[in-house]
Amino acid sequence: MTITKQKTTKRLVSVLAAALALFAFTEQAEAQQILLTGPLAGAPAVRKLRQHRKGRFEVAPAVSFTLLDEYQRTILLGAKLNYNFTDWLSFGAWGAIGSAIRIQTHLTEQIQSVNASRPLTNADGTPTTDRQLTKVNLGDDFKKQLGGIDWIVAPQLTAVPFRGKLALFQSIYLDTDLYFFAGPAFVGLTERKNCSNTEGDLCSGPGAFNTATRVAVAPTVGLGFNFYINKWSALGFEGRLTPFSWNTAGFDTAGGGKDKKFPDNKIDNEDRQFSLNPMLSVSYSIYLPFQYKVSE
Amino acid sequence: MKSSPIGLLVAVALGIFPAQSWAQAKAGKVTVGGKAAASSKGVIDADASGDAAASAGTDAAPAGDAAAAGDTAGDTGEPTEDTPTGSGLDDICKIDPAACPNLDMDKEAARPLKEQIFAVQQAYALRVRRFELQAGWSFTMNDQFVSHPAPVLALNYYITNVLAIGVNGAYYAPFNVDKDFNAQVRRAARVAVPLTEYQWGAALNFTYVPAYGKFAGFGDFIFHYDAYVVGGVGALSVRPIPVIDPDNRNFSFEPKLAFNAGIGLRIFVNRWFAAVLEVRDYVFNDKLESLETPTNPADAQNKSKWYGETSLTNNVQAQIGAAIFLPFSFDYRLPK
Repeated sequence: MTITKQKTTKRLVSVLAAALALFAFTEQAEAQQILLTGPLAGAPAVRKLRQHRKGRFEVAPAVSFTLLDEYQRTILLGAKLNYNFTDWLSFGAWGAIGSAIRIQTHLTEQIQSVNASRPLTNADGTPTTDRQLTKVNLGDDFKKQLGGIDWIVAPQLTAVPFRGKLALFQSIYLDTDLYFFAGPAFVGLTERKNCSNTEGDLCSGPGAFNTATRVAVAPTVGLGFNFYINKWSALGFEGRLTPFSWNTAGFDTAGGGKDKKFPDNKIDNEDRQFSLNPMLSVSYSIYLPFQYKVSE
Repeated sequence: MKSSPIGLLVAVALGIFPAQSWAQAKAGKVTVGGKAAASSKGVIDADASGDAAASAGTDAAPAGDAAAAGDTAGDTGEPTEDTPTGSGLDDICKIDPAACPNLDMDKEAARPLKEQIFAVQQAYALRVRRFELQAGWSFTMNDQFVSHPAPVLALNYYITNVLAIGVNGAYYAPFNVDKDFNAQVRRAARVAVPLTEYQWGAALNFTYVPAYGKFAGFGDFIFHYDAYVVGGVGALSVRPIPVIDPDNRNFSFEPKLAFNAGIGLRIFVNRWFAAVLEVRDYVFNDKLESLETPTNPADAQNKSKWYGETSLTNNVQAQIGAAIFLPFSFDYRLPK
């Protein structure tokens, strides 16, 4: 019994040693295979990279278009100024004016059209039901109570993790990069001014639909593509989100009832709706100095 | 007791020899750098040149595949009848003097090179004669009243490397979202906007791929991408959501002729799998709910009076998904 046990133990040790040896040498062989990668072994992924950004200032006039607007579209005219510390990291700011070009949506036209056609009073001189129910929400000219983005200033950090090239119709070749940016945004807004619907601060009637300005602070993030046209300029397309809450229509939509989800006949912070405020921008970047560096 | 060390030796020997033989088998192809190449005497670096060869620590000079290791006569240093002695042109001249090339090498070297260099020398993934199966999720880009997210499937066949014909389909029915914003506007301004929901969409499409390129990620790894334009014709099954007179109106889905056009970006993970980002505009003539509410109950029940004006509608959808190319592999038949 003892001899049999000893034999079994020996066999087990032998098999275990064999298995360990096999595993050990197999691991060596795998390591060897990784090294068998040809003359490019250890070489960088890209050689002689044209560093369009490194050590250069970037001045980029830009036009930005707001998306998914309910009442009013804004076209912002502005510029981006960056200093690129490396080819993949830059710091700068984007600023734009939005008060110059605003286009009302079809919904706004429709609301104003209906609002203007509503009779003020019934035959007996009492206000019509529609007028009575909308008196806190609609002034004489709906377009004048709409909220709008007046300006934006956004200091931002830009990372450029992806750098590449593009062949278009096999005849046009462009250097490209894909970048991400983030930072705080300071947004100058015009909104319908707050009112408490108390004596001297009515929410209907003359003056109740005037607007006021404020500055909203919000994060801004996005990504963009740059297509380098020559040594010193590039065409850029970028998407941006700047989430914050604001009252785009000047309506009383919340603040009362259950969970404050019903109108309370006041205009205040409760009536601001959260929006991601998506935008698309087209820019033309100019890089200074005009000559780029080339990597090893 | 004595058999145990023998067993261990055998095991170690078994472990060692396969590893050595693997290293030799690979040697004929590529061997550069590292301890493995340095420790393998007799291993010849077929592709190595310049510094790479020097760092590999091999004694052999760079040579072609024919000279690569193994048991060739070249290793023995003694030429035989069956093996060429190295100078290929001399051999040809000896065998057939008429076929002996008579080139002035200086003149040939001075000739200007006219080789065309492409920005992307060889397309990473060829598409010609392959099927592309796309699956993804699409989102509404331009409808602030009702969003129409949907799962999307597409099948394309590439007739050439840049042109494909295919079909796609989306299923919207359970995913339409009538946003709170609509109710708020109705309540605040007493103005109702006609709303539309979608059931399904399908289209026959042509895809053209005019652009492709590659990106270096973090200066370390490279991935390839292409950009395409797509357009087609099909149908979109839609119906109004009753908001003007919901008590009396109940609409049925009806397919509408829909044209579509869009652009897309494919980022290749390998030669048969890619991530896809696409934006497409589906244009159709939408029949909206009537803004009029008949006072007569009989008229209110009359379906012909439920519909109002028609409107040319743009449904812009962004799609995120993945693409699989079949067959998985392909042969290069193109020069570039």
